[in-house]
Order: sequence, then C-alpha cells, then structure tokens
Amino acid sequence: MSFPDPIAVFRTEAAELLEQIEAGLLDLNVNLGDKDQIDAVFRGLHTLKGSGAMFGFEALAAFTHHCETAFDRVRKGEVPATQALVTAVLEAKDHMRALVETPAGDHEATSEALLANLRAAVDGAKSPGVHQAADVPAQTLFKIRFSLPQNAMANGTNPLPLLDELRELGECTIVADRSAIPSLDLLSPTDLHISWNVELLTSQPRSAIEDVFIFVMDDMQLEITAVQAATAAAKSPERQETPIQAAEPVAAEPVAVSAPRVPAPVTAAPAPTDAKASKASENVRVPAEKLDELMDRVGELVIAQSRLSQLAGGSGDLQLRAVSEDVERLSGELRDTMMVLRMVPVTQLFGRFRRLVHDLSHETGKVIELVTEGESTEVDKSVIERLADPLVHLVRNSCDHGLETPDERRAAGKPPAGRIMLSARQQAGEVIITIKDDGRGINRERVRAKAEASGLVQPNATLSDQELYQLIFQPGFSTAQQVTNLSGRGVGMDVVKRTIDALRGTINVISHPGEGSEISLAIPLTLAIIDGLLVRVGAGRYVIPLSAVEECLELSIEEDMRSRGRSFISLRDSLVPFLRLRDLFRTGTKPDPFQKVVVISTGSERVGLVVDQIIGDHQTVIKAMSKLHHDVATFSGATILGDGDVALILDVGHLVAEGQQQEAHLRAAG
Amino acid sequence: MSVADFKEDCFQLPQNLTVRAIGTVRQEMLQLIDNNKSTTIAIASDCQVDISFVQLMEAARIYAGSAGKNIALAEPANGPVLDVLKRSGFLEGMSSDDAKFWLHQGGIQ
Repeated sequence: MSFPDPIAVFRTEAAELLEQIEAGLLDLNVNLGDKDQIDAVFRGLHTLKGSGAMFGFEALAAFTHHCETAFDRVRKGEVPATQALVTAVLEAKDHMRALVETPAGDHEATSEALLANLRAAVDGAKSPGVHQAADVPAQTLFKIRFSLPQNAMANGTNPLPLLDELRELGECTIVADRSAIPSLDLLSPTDLHISWNVELLTSQPRSAIEDVFIFVMDDMQLEITAVQAATAAAKSPERQETPIQAAEPVAAEPVAVSAPRVPAPVTAAPAPTDAKASKASENVRVPAEKLDELMDRVGELVIAQSRLSQLAGGSGDLQLRAVSEDVERLSGELRDTMMVLRMVPVTQLFGRFRRLVHDLSHETGKVIELVTEGESTEVDKSVIERLADPLVHLVRNSCDHGLETPDERRAAGKPPAGRIMLSARQQAGEVIITIKDDGRGINRERVRAKAEASGLVQPNATLSDQELYQLIFQPGFSTAQQVTNLSGRGVGMDVVKRTIDALRGTINVISHPGEGSEISLAIPLTLAIIDGLLVRVGAGRYVIPLSAVEECLELSIEEDMRSRGRSFISLRDSLVPFLRLRDLFRTGTKPDPFQKVVVISTGSERVGLVVDQIIGDHQTVIKAMSKLHHDVATFSGATILGDGDVALILDVGHLVAEGQQQEAHLRAAG
Repeated sequence: MSVADFKEDCFQLPQNLTVRAIGTVRQEMLQLIDNNKSTTIAIASDCQVDISFVQLMEAARIYAGSAGKNIALAEPANGPVLDVLKRSGFLEGMSSDDAKFWLHQGGIQ
C-alpha cells in the first residue's frame, strides 16, 4: 500500500485554499463591508501560512504572513477594505501559487514588488477611526488536547509550526505531555510520542482551531472543548489575574458556566462552528487518477458482462441466464454509481471566470458584470477540465470584442456596465454551457467580407446565419480591427472548435446586432461510458448514443421506394430528413426487407438514420479512435462488443448536421 | 568522525539533531550510556534541532535513570535547543528535575 506524498497533498490543499481566498476576495470586491468575507479571507491566508511553514514552504509562509497581517488589520477595523487592497492581495495570491509550485525559484524581486503594492494599498486606505472596545468580539476559552500520528515526523510534519499557529489565535498555554515517551532502548526515534494539552483564550471560532490541523486532521486525535466565554470588555484586571486553569467546569459543548472571580455568571456563547467542519468526517478525498483507474475497471467489467450476456443468451442453461442477468443489473448499478462519483458541479469551472472578468475589466477599462446560472449542474470531471480553455477564449472574446466601452454603451442607450452571463443546464444527455453578452453582437457583414476575402466562401454563396457564424471558428479567422493582448489574432476560437469537437460536442451561435451574442456549447455529460443503441448496417454493427434517440420506426420497402430521391419521412405532420447509413457507409449489401429508421435529435434538429436491424440497448464503454482515424467525422469513438468485435459509435451531432444539410440542398433544388 | 566525539570529559553531538539524523544519534547515545557511568552531552550552539531531539533526550534520561546512570548537559539549553523547548511547550510543565537537567536550575543534575 502506498501513502500519498505529504508535499503533494499540501500542494493540492494549498490550491484549494488559494481558490477559496480568491473567491472570498472577489466577493469582497463586490461588497467591501462584508465581514464574513473578510474573516474568510483572513482565515484562508492564516491557514495557508501556517501549513506552508509546517511543510517547509518558508518563503510562502513569510510572504503570506504580510497579506495575513494586512487582512488582520482589516478584520480588526484598523484599515478599511478597499478595492486597491483587494487587487493587491489578488495579485499576491497569484504569487503564492508560484511559491507553492516552485518554492526553489527566484521569487524575491516579485515578492518585494508585490509587498510594496500591498503596503501602498494598506497605507492608502483611510482609518475608519478608533475602535470601540465594545466591538471586540467575545472570547472563548478552549481546552485542546491533541496527538499527531505516530509517523508524523517521518512524513515531514513538524509539530512546532502547529503550536506557533495556535499561539497566534490568542492567549495560549501549551504543555507537552511526555508520559508516552519510552526508554531510549525502546524508542523508535522518528516516531512521535509527545502529545499536547493547550488552553487557548480566543475570539476565533472552533473552526479556526481545526483549520490549524487541517493537513493532519485525518490521522490525528484532536479534542477541543469550549470551557467558557467572556467578552474582552469583561476581561477586567481581576479576570486577567485568574489563572486560566481555574475555569470550571469542563463542558463538551458551550454551557452556562460561572467563571471564578467574574462578578456575574457568564453565559457561554456558542462556540462558533461551521457546518463544513462537522461534515468533514463524512467526506473522503480521493485522487482523480484513482477514479480514472476505477472507471477503467468498471469499463472492463461492462465489456466482460456484455460477453457473458451473449454467451448466456446463446445457451439453454437457465441458471447461467439468471446469473448473467444479475451480473448485468449489478454492473449497470456499479456503472451508474461510478458516473455519479465522477460528476462535479460546474461551479468549479465558473468560479475561475470571476477572476478573469475582474482582471479583464481592469485591462479594458470596461465595466463588466459576470452573472452565472446553473452552477450546480454536474458534468463528468474530465469534461470540466477540458472545457476550461475554450471558455477562457470565449469569455475573453466577449469582454474584448463583444462588450462596448461605457461611453459607447451610454450612446447606444444601454447601461454603462456590460453583462456576461455564463450558464449551464442539462438537456438530453448533454450539458449546455452558454456564454451570453449584451454587447454589440457579431457583425454579420464583416464576418462575410472577411470570409470572402479569405476564400472561405464564394461571393455569391447563400449562407444561413448559423453557417456564417460558424466561420468565426476557422483557424486564423478574426474580424477584430485591432489585435489586443486579449484577443483579435484569430487563434483562440479555432481552439474552441477543436476542443468541443474532441469532446463530441457542438457549438451554436446566435447574435443580434446591438443586442449581443450567445454561444452555446453542447457537450456529452460523460466521456467514459454511455447507454447506446446497437444497430446493424450491412454486416457491421454500430452504436447510437441512446440519449439522442427519440424513436424507432419501421421503413417498409414500399415507403423506401417511394421516398427515393427525397429521403424524407413524414413524422406526425412534420417532414424529417433521413440518411441511409448503408449508402453512407458504402456497405455494398442489399437492404433488409424491413429496415428501421432511428430518429435522433440534437436540440430541435432531427434526422432519421436508416439501419438494417436494431439489435438492442448496449452499455457502451467508449474507446478513443486511433490518430489515423482522427479526421473521420462520422464516428466519435469505438467500443468492444461482448463477442470481442469492435463497433463504431456514431457522432450524432455530425449526422444531424449532415441530414439537415441534405434537407437544405433538396429544398433548394425544389 | 563518529556521531559523538569525545571532547575533554563530555560528548559533542553533531550539528544535525533533526529527525533526518536522529536514528544515528540514538545509536551513539545508547552506546555512550551503556559504556559510561556518567554521560555529559555538549550541544553546539548553532546546531539544527527539532522536537525529535528533545524527545530523544527525554528517552535517554529515562534509560539512564533505569540503569542507575547519570546523564547531563554540559551547558544549560540555549539557542536553538532552548527555542524548541519553548515552542514545544516543554518549559511550561517542567518539574524541578526537568529544570535541573535542561536549564541547570537548582544545580547541575
């Protein structure tokens, strides 16, 4: 059994802390008086500093200390939170990331420059005035007993920074308990046999104490007992003379207690705690690669189960069939559970754009408001990872080219602040991510002129809006009159197209001049296993993603003959174009007497696929196509069937587009 | 050079007294106590030290005591060793014996 590298674990945790700090700063930027956010940012910085020191990231700890101090002053009301301070700490946060990733790098000059910015931001903030003693929050006396895992020192954990951190939370008495130290001849010197008893009088919540131990929490023993509460105002000289040890009784949770020498009984304030801390023990952190590994195993199991089903189906053994059905049900459930484990909310993805828009707003001088919707929509983690880059390009493009300057917007009768909306929703096995802005919209004429000039379209060609807008995703295509450091080189949008294609997704563009544009990315929810409909065309078998299948119909020979040259079927009063896959794949075989039409759709577009036989549903473990077949647009992947044969998976988006194109040509031909 | 060099009538410990080197220090310390009725330990004022060394010394005191032998520091703890004692909470709950051993308070043990 292998144990995770503690430094790698720290880096993962630090990355999460940095994200939390950034989110807190961006929220604070919107509401500079938000005390909760000020506390959250302070705690994040404090934890990062302490844990950085504990794991030997001294430069990180030293640098973060300055930011923490600045926020401590904000927290205490000595300086107000200002946008300049938030911006300075945001920049410092980026540097902290560098200090985490490359601690041995030469960061001194950057550190100094950023700290000078920070000092200027703090000095530039006006003091809100002298503090009222009454503002000082209530203090709680905590008794803490903890022991670290025996192998803590061997794993690189140094207990001293933890103790230093506890001291920073308030008045602290720390006593080492040496009773478990064995005699030298019995001592394993790298094991830790010391535990600690701590009494801490602090205005910080219980969670702040737990945060000190955040990186060792899983394996250690920690008891925190809130003994009594007292406000700072009540902490009179008499109270200070009272030895902390004298407080009694010891209670597991805050209760009304009488403190010696305090004139009146003091009711213990509830020890501040948060739901996150109490839920911590219910969650398990699992490395992403372990999930991928498990997914592969489930995939192999699904293939083996498929084979078993086939063998059982061909055998007359009823017991074997019963077992096979059980295995099929169980592997299906296992697959569904696995899928849920891999799903993560898009909030992780959207979160990073708040910072991007904040920075772009500064760079362009535009006032930009980012609105997000559907953040709880869940998508396979690998999809989320791959969507990040395309979305960065699209958001940058909207900020730079889509939105107008405040003056231009006022002149156009719009509010000075531009708005970008990022939204996500699930629809029929796909997640739809939309980037919508209320800017000037795509200039249709300019796109057309550029496309004609580049030879992408013939001067007389008739193009629908959708076809025309799709040209902006061509490599090197840009209508920007100015190339900025944000966009305009025509490089980003083709990256968007390529990435979305690789994800088996589609892009839809809507634009209204003067009102803005909307780009929707439709991506499959998962890239690993899908429910498929197994069909036969000629001698080959193919999988159609079940999420795209609307219905199946029979296509009689008569109807087939009747529709020759037209390739339309009438479906509840609407004409649906269809593609004969036998022709498309050039199978060279005769059609079955009773062909079937599988009607598939993407959004509102529908197309029928004529196949020879519908075999049935099939759990499809998606395998990527080889590089040799990368350009074959009709198929999005392959799968291994129960008998070991390979079936190709049809690319629904591509086939629907082809069917619609065929319809357009036939309509144009009259 | 062995981990503990004999220097006059006390043993000079190496510079590195952290968890990385503590296994070797333990071996040498065991030998010293086994081979001597009384052991005096000298610690360099600029040594690298962490909590593992303080724990080792406490274990050595127990071992020496059970064998009826004596162990002492050549000088009261100072510099980095004193710093570790302070930060780790050893000074807070010190008995008079502990104070004698680590700080030479009330006469050398």
